[in-house]
Amino acid sequence: MITWKERLKDEIPLEMAKLIDTYEAQMSLRQQGKMDEKVFAEARLRKGVYGQRYDNGQRHDGVRTQALAYPSDDIVKGPDTLWDAPGMQRIKIPYGGLSARQLEALSELADEYADGILHITTRQDIQLHYVHIDDTPDLMRRLAAVGITTQEACGNSVRNITACQLAGVCHDEAFDVSPYADAMTQFLLAHDDVQDFGRKFKVAFSGCAGHACGLVKMHDLGLLAQSREVAGQVQRGFTVFVGGGLGTVPHQAKALAEFVTPEELLPLTQAIARVFARLGEKKNRNRARLKFLVAKLGIDEFRRLVEEELATVPHDPRHTAYLDTAPDFVNAPAKAGLQLNGAPLPEGFDAWYRSNVYPQRQPGYSVVTLHTPLGDFTAQQGFQLADIARKYVGDNIRLTVEQNIVLRWVANADLPALCRDLREIGLGDAHAGTIVDITTCPGTDTCKLGIASSRGLTAELRTRLIEKINLLPDAVQELKIKVSGCFNSCGQHHVADIGFFGNSRRSGNHKLPHFQVVLGGQWQQNAGSYGLAVGAVPAKAVPEALAALTERYVAERAEGENFQSWVRQLGRKEIKAMLKPFMQLPTFEDNPAFFSDWGDSRVYTIDDIGVGECAGEVVSLFSMEISKAESTHFEALLALDDGDWRRADENAYRAMVLAARALVRTKNLDVGDDSDRIVNEFRERFYDTELVYDRFAKGKFARYLFKRHAGTPTRLDEDYAHQIIDETQLFIENIHSAEQRINGVIVG
Amino acid sequence: MQTVPKRLAVKFNLARAPQLQPADIVPIFQRWIQQRTVPGMLIDVIDYKHVPDGPGIVLVADESDYAWDLGAGQAGLRYIRKRALPDDLSDALRLCFERAALAARQLEGEAPGDVVFDFAAAEISFLDRLAYPNEAGVAASTQGALSEVLPGLLGADVTLSRLHEDSRYPLILRCAGEGPLAVAASLA
Repeated sequence: MITWKERLKDEIPLEMAKLIDTYEAQMSLRQQGKMDEKVFAEARLRKGVYGQRYDNGQRHDGVRTQALAYPSDDIVKGPDTLWDAPGMQRIKIPYGGLSARQLEALSELADEYADGILHITTRQDIQLHYVHIDDTPDLMRRLAAVGITTQEACGNSVRNITACQLAGVCHDEAFDVSPYADAMTQFLLAHDDVQDFGRKFKVAFSGCAGHACGLVKMHDLGLLAQSREVAGQVQRGFTVFVGGGLGTVPHQAKALAEFVTPEELLPLTQAIARVFARLGEKKNRNRARLKFLVAKLGIDEFRRLVEEELATVPHDPRHTAYLDTAPDFVNAPAKAGLQLNGAPLPEGFDAWYRSNVYPQRQPGYSVVTLHTPLGDFTAQQGFQLADIARKYVGDNIRLTVEQNIVLRWVANADLPALCRDLREIGLGDAHAGTIVDITTCPGTDTCKLGIASSRGLTAELRTRLIEKINLLPDAVQELKIKVSGCFNSCGQHHVADIGFFGNSRRSGNHKLPHFQVVLGGQWQQNAGSYGLAVGAVPAKAVPEALAALTERYVAERAEGENFQSWVRQLGRKEIKAMLKPFMQLPTFEDNPAFFSDWGDSRVYTIDDIGVGECAGEVVSLFSMEISKAESTHFEALLALDDGDWRRADENAYRAMVLAARALVRTKNLDVGDDSDRIVNEFRERFYDTELVYDRFAKGKFARYLFKRHAGTPTRLDEDYAHQIIDETQLFIENIHSAEQRINGVIVG
Repeated sequence: MQTVPKRLAVKFNLARAPQLQPADIVPIFQRWIQQRTVPGMLIDVIDYKHVPDGPGIVLVADESDYAWDLGAGQAGLRYIRKRALPDDLSDALRLCFERAALAARQLEGEAPGDVVFDFAAAEISFLDRLAYPNEAGVAASTQGALSEVLPGLLGADVTLSRLHEDSRYPLILRCAGEGPLAVAASLA
């Protein structure tokens, strides 16, 4: 029976295939108890393989907590995370850009490995839920075959690099940021300098300052396109922001540099990453994001350190290799741009056009937004949408940070037909970007940290608002609502006009799901300011509280006054007084419905809240690097079992080099990938100094590496393969012992 | 021996349910978890009724899912076996038909209003594009293999047809009999 690995072996880039093979070997080692659970958890997260609610083996069913007896309940894939428990697979979609074929591949995976649903995140990723870890290597191979990676989609790493979905077609942008986002994605992927963070690192690009799409001010690293004239020539560049972020404690990013040229962009990013890796918090993950380091040092000192670091960044041709083609980067339209030509319009076309169509700066073309409720669409819709994309726009598909999909380069003459086709597949609803287009995180549906049902509330608000959308004044229709299931801000509630985040309160002996109301955040100006928390309302009272709030806004606002301004004028005290009637807590006996969450018939409990895996454990760089050596050694063993002596030898040798590299990198982060250099540095730093010497065997194990490095074996047979694999095992053990012995001296 | 697919699903469509809304299914499935009404290690209920023609309301279990499925615009009860499939295709099919029929019968008894399933037909999905690509040749050979297996399970007069020809979709075979399929009739 053929496997996906065999079927796709010629379609996956070698380096991607190797990364997946290594991960699969790590899975085997963990199942055999030969890899530490924390190290595996971080390795797993860096492949986008994430835990889900109830993966600790228990769930409250509304009456009692039931044990979930998973088949292999003695094996864990991380602390308190059972192997067989379903999980989430996050898939990076750089700047949200997808081809029709990629959309089809994602859809195939959704109905073969997940529950048939593709979920768009607020960072332009795709998430599949209820995925078994055993399926993840093949899932990754099938993605890799169409040019998609899950590498570093979670964990303490550089997450998906996002960008405005209008990049390249927007009227206001300085220039198209897509090629720069793409180049940075390629450059930072699995880069040595981004492997030792204490926490995740998020990057966003925006083409203009005024609109929201890029959200650069709420990112660890935000790049805002600028242009200036130098000697009569227009020069491209970026204002660089650092230290932004939402989370429990939101921070607005600070400007690190006003104008950085494209040539300087990647080296500067590398310098920022190195400073973050070196000085960022590693022990307390609650203080480990870059925003805390910038706040602690101050932007001036942080800038000084980055500039100092920049001088040490080694030359890399990739810093500038992409620049020759960047200015000409354009997603070619599939069809000629033609204006609407008087063809009959489908019913409701005008409303759809108003909310869902953005005329591009290129005459004759538009961007069409497909509103996906709660960020979800089905595998079948994915196939159908791929057909529609091919018919109208080719591969010009992008995901948005508002959990929607856009089709770019639609010829205006095609808009009526496209509107009809989208309606046929359930993706032609109007009101994209309006008050009904609510952003939400997964919340208690699947997230271990969820406190209240953000998706349940969103579905309820959406249903109620759609019923009366045409009766709402424009000022209300334009409002943004964003919902998070807890204080961690995955639903981006801080930057909404009206944000909600889940919490709980107690009435008598029962808890009630609540939502904290956050008002007046600014979506525009790249998430220009954050909202005010004004009080917590029981989940079941939120729709009425929202209605009271919007009605008063409409009644009292001055002409042209926006929601942020109205909130500021009214003040927190007055708003709280307005919401007070909705904050009253009934007793369980009086109103039991208040003690269940939206879309959930169970009596509410917070007993299912677990430990989040947002950033995984903080695992040392050495642990991560040596685990690669161990999994490569395991691959050598598999080759031995297959009778492939050459592959066994190559993997064993590679495992020894990787083990040596793990130790060398504790002294020199820039050792690179060249085997000669790694072995030389290992010899100078650890062998000649006897730091790696075993108490009894002295330098014997290190000499296994030197012997193999000196030349390929003259005979390749089973005996030889056995021998080098045994020697590799001893060498890896030797490296472990040495690191433990000298760790304080080297790393401390 | 015919390969057992990675995932196998059986769906019985709804014949009538004049008052039933998808939201009515959520408390039923949650009760099934509390009372362990249907076989499997039941984990959670997910609500996807906001997506058209989608998986609807799903009762997720470790080795399988039970869904109030809205796929292809047709509500029905779908049992999806995800893991621990029997080694023999005939046994795997029997398991899926029995679990789907059992859950559908249970819903007929519990759901509000007059809920009736059409047990004279079912859809079998082979969710495995590696072993069961949705190609004419594979569909024909699978139909051939199933024609030997299904009579004992469903009755002698069962006919099979392929639901989609688009190779991107999973292979789905529709089986139909003259009256209720034997596996469901035995649970009546």
